[in-house]
Amino acid sequence: MNPLYKWIGDFVHPPKEARLDLGRRAVLAAGLAGLGAKLLFGIAPQASKRSFNPALIRPPGALPEDEFLARCIRCGECMKVCPTNAIHPAFLEGGVEGVWTPILNMPVGYCDYECNLCSQVCPTHAIRQVDVPEKQKIKIGLAYIDKNRCLPWAYSRTCIVCEEHCPTPKKAIWFEEAEVLNIQGEKLTIKQPRVDPDLCIGCGICETKCPVKGQAAVRVTSVGETRNPENQILLSSDSFAEG
Amino acid sequence: MAKKKKTSWIVWLRRLTQMGFFLLFCYLFLQTVYHPINKAGRGVTFFFNLDPLVALNSWLASHAFVGAMLLSLVTLAVTFICGRWFCGWVCPFGALHNFFTSLRSGRAKQKLEVGGYNQWQKAKYYALVAFLVAALVGADVVGWLDPFSFFFRSLSTSIYPAMNKGLVALFTWIYDVNPGVGPVRLTVVTEPIYGFLSKYFLAVGQPYYWGSMLIGTLFITVVALNFFRARFWCRYVCPLGALLGVVGKNPLVRLKKNEEKCNSCRLCLVDCQGGATPDNPLEWKPSECFYCWNCESDCPAQAISFTVSCHSEPFACHSDPAVAGEESPQLAQGKLREPSLRIAEGGNCRDSSPAKVRRAQNDTALRTEAGEKAP
Repeated sequence: MNPLYKWIGDFVHPPKEARLDLGRRAVLAAGLAGLGAKLLFGIAPQASKRSFNPALIRPPGALPEDEFLARCIRCGECMKVCPTNAIHPAFLEGGVEGVWTPILNMPVGYCDYECNLCSQVCPTHAIRQVDVPEKQKIKIGLAYIDKNRCLPWAYSRTCIVCEEHCPTPKKAIWFEEAEVLNIQGEKLTIKQPRVDPDLCIGCGICETKCPVKGQAAVRVTSVGETRNPENQILLSSDSFAEG
Repeated sequence: MAKKKKTSWIVWLRRLTQMGFFLLFCYLFLQTVYHPINKAGRGVTFFFNLDPLVALNSWLASHAFVGAMLLSLVTLAVTFICGRWFCGWVCPFGALHNFFTSLRSGRAKQKLEVGGYNQWQKAKYYALVAFLVAALVGADVVGWLDPFSFFFRSLSTSIYPAMNKGLVALFTWIYDVNPGVGPVRLTVVTEPIYGFLSKYFLAVGQPYYWGSMLIGTLFITVVALNFFRARFWCRYVCPLGALLGVVGKNPLVRLKKNEEKCNSCRLCLVDCQGGATPDNPLEWKPSECFYCWNCESDCPAQAISFTVSCHSEPFACHSDPAVAGEESPQLAQGKLREPSLRIAEGGNCRDSSPAKVRRAQNDTALRTEAGEKAP
């Protein structure tokens, strides 16, 4: 017989030493384990599309969560390349299925407005390739002010750090000037920061730079992210029109 | 025991290749940083593109395929035709395990006891099946154990930041203390080194990562397991190795043993990296073989070679369908018995020390016994 035919034939009907001898039952069990894992992942609350973890902030360009998890190989390329050290391996923020997937840790670093390196290096395009102008329009989350910690709000002291750092062309943080009384009963005019949810892209530089340490007085959560239409804080303007 | 032969040139070539790919991996790792203006290093995902497991899994799970992953077809094609060379020659994680495996101490006898094939090596195939089925229904979690993901993730979030911290602390300490005599200070030497490192190796700012302790501990554990079994990760865990093992289970490059020369010393088994049973060509497992060439290099009788062949000896391209069709245990045992008998007779054995002949005789007795038991 022609050796080549023989070789090809061995793939159809392998001789003893070319068999892996894995055992049909064991292979079936392994397959069922994979299937079972998917079923268990599927009943985690975040799979319901009704429960969202506010800490699950994905890098800009990340696909919708289902597709993202189907592609991300947890390789850590984005974590390595991120120049501000913002991207970290998740633990259980995205459920067991999401262990070691990238999430942004704003207290350590923020998403730089002029940077799209994570989308450049992602080997599976779980973070799709977005150029900088497109990236600058992607909301990865939304900042909110913690009035109980914010210096102007809670302590009537002047602070404009978050507004100064806000990178969007029209600042997403704006001030309302308010007249407040200090402890002596004197009137003070204080600039109280507020967030415009239409302009804020959730880059988190306000959280990183906030002078209130420990837990910043302005923090970012995942709500409002572009990639996930269900995870929104506002009714869309259409629904206002209809209402 | 026979005198240890000189290491074969092909083993040196393999080591050189491994080192080259390892350094390339490290280089690409260090290139995965910001370059002006807003550019990541070029080709930093090269090894991920070579990885057919990543391509297959993300295709199964998301029905999408990144163009650069076509490179993984080269890996598949080479493995399909030539066997699991990738693990022994290309994989940088494998090279790391290979290095730590070579640091093992212990006598050949001890290595021999744990060096052979073990049923637990099937574990990686079951892991592969579980990952592939999970991917098929939409859960792509193979990155937990994909070797490049595991290696890169461990480096980027744990090992590299720790090294960075340690080196900066060391050089800062030397700078502060600055021991020396008169104008001859230690910093004269260390400061240029520090300058070089900060230009080419150290991070711009010290990186910190959540959960780096867990990732780093896992990495160190996996590396330390090489002292327990040679290339533990590659033998028992690696799902990419399993995929390549399945694809390359019937390669054209095969181990061939000259039974006339073999003196059954089993030295070939001592440094076998994959537990592929090179001592017995009938049992040789191409799916576990990394083509590291250690068996060929270690064989004092030069009985082992790798040849292009469609089939293992002694069934090579058997043309007789009557024989090829059945399992033929008699033939197998007959072939096994032959060389030992020859040694006992003092035939073609190169090293015929009294101990060796005695052992061969014992061997023959055992095998003859087994042969007699067979119908």
